[in-house]
Amino acid sequence: MIPVGFARAAWIVAAKDLRLEWRTWETLSSTLVFSLTVVVVFQFAFGLGTVRELGAARLVPGVIWTVVAFAAVVGMLRSLQLERARDTLGALFLCPVDRGAVYVGKAFANLVKLSLLQALLLPLTAVLFGHVLLPILVPLGLVCLVHGIGLTELGTLFAAVTTRLGRGEALLAVLLFPAASPLLISAVKCTAAALAGEPLATVSRWMLLSAGLDALYLLVGLATFEFVLEE
Amino acid sequence: MRRAVRALTLPLWALATLAMPLALWAAFLLAPEERVMGAAQKIFYFHVPAALVTYAAVAVLLAASIGYLWTRDRRWDNLSRSATEVGLLFCTLVLVTGPIWARPAWGTWWTWEARLTTTLLLWLLLLGCLMVRGYADDRDLGARLASIVGIVAALDIPIIHKAVVWWRGQHPVVFAPDKSESLAPGMAAALAVCTAAFFVLFALLLLLRYRVAALDERLHAAAEAARGREEIR
Amino acid sequence: MTAPAESTEAIRATGLTKRFGSVTALDGVDLVVGAGQAVAVFGPNGAGKTTLIRLLTLGLRRDGGLLRIAGLDPRSHDREIRARIGLIAHPSFLYDDLSPAQNLEFYAAMYGVPEPARRARQLLELFGLAPRADDRVADLSRGMQQRVSVARALVHEPPLLLLDEPFTGLDAQAAERLGELLASLRRRGRTLVLVTHDLRQGLASSDRWILLARGRIAGEGASGTTDVARFESDYARLGGAAAGPSA
Repeated sequence: MIPVGFARAAWIVAAKDLRLEWRTWETLSSTLVFSLTVVVVFQFAFGLGTVRELGAARLVPGVIWTVVAFAAVVGMLRSLQLERARDTLGALFLCPVDRGAVYVGKAFANLVKLSLLQALLLPLTAVLFGHVLLPILVPLGLVCLVHGIGLTELGTLFAAVTTRLGRGEALLAVLLFPAASPLLISAVKCTAAALAGEPLATVSRWMLLSAGLDALYLLVGLATFEFVLEE
Repeated sequence: MRRAVRALTLPLWALATLAMPLALWAAFLLAPEERVMGAAQKIFYFHVPAALVTYAAVAVLLAASIGYLWTRDRRWDNLSRSATEVGLLFCTLVLVTGPIWARPAWGTWWTWEARLTTTLLLWLLLLGCLMVRGYADDRDLGARLASIVGIVAALDIPIIHKAVVWWRGQHPVVFAPDKSESLAPGMAAALAVCTAAFFVLFALLLLLRYRVAALDERLHAAAEAARGREEIR
Repeated sequence: MTAPAESTEAIRATGLTKRFGSVTALDGVDLVVGAGQAVAVFGPNGAGKTTLIRLLTLGLRRDGGLLRIAGLDPRSHDREIRARIGLIAHPSFLYDDLSPAQNLEFYAAMYGVPEPARRARQLLELFGLAPRADDRVADLSRGMQQRVSVARALVHEPPLLLLDEPFTGLDAQAAERLGELLASLRRRGRTLVLVTHDLRQGLASSDRWILLARGRIAGEGASGTTDVARFESDYARLGGAAAGPSA
C-alpha cells in the first residue's frame, strides 16, 4: 500500500462528500428551500415600506448573511450526521490517514456546497430586492469566498461536536453564531461595501481580519478535530 | 492536592468575608461622587471588576481546557467546569450592572456598543460550553468536547472584542493613555479595592465549585463500586 | 526511523487494562496471537469483548499494559498498524446513498491501494456483486449489504482481521458463506480475532479460543480438541457464574 498523504486523503474525503451530494442533492435542495423561505420572511419582517426606504444596499447584506448562517448550520450538520448512520465516521477513524485531513476534506466539501448556495442566492436577492449583481460579481464573490472559508472551518468543527452529542441545529447555532460573530460582522460590512459599489480596499481591514481568522480557525480545527472523533 | 485545596478554603472564606464589606465601603464612602452622573456612577466599581474577573475566568478556562486535552486528568476538567460556571456568573453580573448604569447615564437600558455586545457574546459562548457538558452522556466525552469549545471560545474573545470595537465604539473610555484627565485618586483607590475584593471572591467561588465537582466525582465512583459489589452476591 | 521487521506475532498484549470512569472493562488481559492464527473470543455481555476489539483497532486508548500489533507500538506506529487491520462489526460502515463500487473505491483510496477502481471491481466480482455494483447500497438486500461490508474490510488485504459478532443477524446461508470466507482467509495465512456468541461457528473458524468474563480471561482452549456439545453446556456455567450486566 502507498501511504496516503495529507492532501490526497483530504481530497478523497472531499470528493466522496461531493459525490454524495451529486447523487442526492440533499444539502443544496434543503438549504435552498430554507433560504428562500427565510428571505420571504424578511420581506414580511421589514415590510415593503421599510425595504423601499432603506434600500437594498443597507438591507441585503444582513439578509444574505443571516440566511447563509442559518443555512450553513443546516448543511454542515447534515454533512456530519450522514456519517453517523452506519458509523462511517468510525470507519474513517480506522483509516491510516491524518485525522486532520478528514477535517479539511469535509470542511472543503462544505465550502463548495455553501458557495453553490450563495451562487444561487445572490441572483435571487438581486431580483427580490432589486440590487445590481453583474458589475460587482468579482468583489462580491471574493467576499463570499473569504468569509465562507472561515464559516465552514468553524462550522465543520462545531458540527462534529454537536453530532457526537447527538444534538441538532439548536446547539450548533448556539455555539457557532457567537463564535463566528467577527466573521459575520465582517461579512456584512464587506458585502455592504461591494453592493454600494465601493472598492474592497475601503474595507481592507475587515478582509484582512477575515483572512486571519480563516487561518486561525483552520489551525484550531486541525489541532482539535481528532479529539472530537476519538473513542 | 486535595489537602492543599482544603487548606486554602477557610482562609479564603475569611478573606472574602472581610474584603466584600471593604469593597462596599470603598465604593460608597471612599470614592467621591462623580460630577455628572452622581451616585448612579458608583456601579462602575462593581461593573468593571466583574468584567475583569470574567476575563480571568476565561483565561483559567483556556488553560484548564488545554490541560485536560493534554493530560486527560479529570482534575483539569473539574477546574475547567468551575471556571466556566463562575465565569458565567460574573459575566451575568456585568450584563446586569451594565444596563443599570446605562439607563441613568445614556437614557437607554441597552446599547449595542462594543463592550456590552462582546460581553453578551461571551455569555452565550460560556453558556454553550455548559450545554455541551450537559448534553454528553459520557463524562469523558463531555469533558473533551467542552474543552475544545472552551479553547475556541477563549481564543475568539479578543477577536470578537476587536471586531465589535471596529464595528461600534462609544463605551466610556476610562483609562485612555492620551487623555488629559484620568480617574480622581479617590476613585482609582476605590476601584483598586473593589477589584481586589472581587478577585478574592472569584478565587473563593472557584475553589468551592472545584471541591464540589471533586466530591461529586468521588460520590459517583463510590456508587459505581457499590453497584459492582452487589452483583457478585 | 525505520519500521521494525515484521514480527511473527500478530498481537502481543500484556496486562491490557481499560477503564471507563470507575468501571473497569478490561482488567489485565494477556493475549498473544501468532501470525496466521485464528482466535475466537467468547463471553457474556459486558465481559469486555467489544472493548478488546476496540483496543486492538486503536479506536480506544489503553489505560494500562502493553500492546504490540505486528510488533509495532501503537504510540509511535499508529498509522502503520491501522493499515494492517480490517474490521467487520455490526455497523456496515457503508454510505447508503453511494453504490458498492463507489464505497469500495473510496475505502481503497483511503487505504492507499494502488488503482482503487480496479480493486473495487475485483472485489465486487469475487463477492458476486458485479450486477448490482452501481445501485445504491440502500437498495440492496441485507445479505448483499453485509457482503459489501465484508469486501470493504478486505479492500487493503489486511494481515489482521478483527470481527465483532459477524454472524449476528445472518441467515444460515449467509453464515455458511462467511464461514467459508474465514476458512479461505485462514488458509492464506491471515490472522483472525473473532468475537462471537455463536459457539459452533466460533470453534469451527478458529485454532484456539479464549473466554472473557468481567474483563478477565476466564478460560482458554484449543478449538480442535474442544467438544462442541460439552463446551456449550460448560459455557453457560463458566460464563453464567460470572455473568455481568449488559454492556
